[in-house]
Amino acid sequence: MRILFCGVGAIGSTAAVLCRNLEATLVFIDFDRVESKNLLAQAFVKPSVGKNKAEALKLQLLNLHGVKAESFGVRVTRDNVAALCGNADLLVDCFDNQASRLLLSDFARTAGKPLVHGALAADGTFGLVRWDERFVPDAEDTAGQATCEGGAHLPLIGQLGATLARVVQDFVKHGTRRDAMVSLVAVTPTA
Amino acid sequence: MATLNITYNGLSSDLPLELDGHVSDVDVRRIALEVVRSGGAPGLHIANLREDAFVHYVVDRFRGPRGEDRIYLRPKVPFGA
Repeated sequence: MRILFCGVGAIGSTAAVLCRNLEATLVFIDFDRVESKNLLAQAFVKPSVGKNKAEALKLQLLNLHGVKAESFGVRVTRDNVAALCGNADLLVDCFDNQASRLLLSDFARTAGKPLVHGALAADGTFGLVRWDERFVPDAEDTAGQATCEGGAHLPLIGQLGATLARVVQDFVKHGTRRDAMVSLVAVTPTA
Repeated sequence: MATLNITYNGLSSDLPLELDGHVSDVDVRRIALEVVRSGGAPGLHIANLREDAFVHYVVDRFRGPRGEDRIYLRPKVPFGA
């Protein structure tokens, strides 16, 4: 099985690390680079600063956990989405913007690929794990709204990443498609 | 009978709702505001909740496993990476 994590920032990197026990090929896609501020909320270590996030996560999994993965340090666009995602058995959307989520959703629906989304509120109090058939990407309240880059929201990011990883694992092992709402006090199954 | 779930400030509350036909998203936000202010949402009582607290919130509607209506009022979740 080939699992593509689309976006490996806060949620994507956290969930991906918690999927390292799966008998699957993990593939990471992200065009961005690791910055020092990311170390507080994302699963990157200091030597990864300056590296591409997808490449850095691949190297960390190999060097720290002995797990081989693949990486593509590119931005997903309408021109390359089929080439990047066409051979995936599962897509995991952890993008940080509505346009990229819609692009991935359009591709998944056209190609018949299973797609699960992980998404986080701006204030770090709430997150969702939801399969594509029940998901509509949200826009920012205001353009350029600050994202969850600092460490303030790390506990919720951890809960959401773990919930997403569990949903991925259940899909891989049993084919189930569970949704969940994640808040500071509870993880609530919703489907 | 429907269930309205309200998530606000990291807390979440379910409450049963008798609905007479369809309620709009605006109505859901208005009902939620009143219920939270009045203490009708278990574990989520905020008497001085701001008038615009739910303005940017999303209303999701699903059918539960036993055919019941479930309405979720939740914050937007635009972020991931």
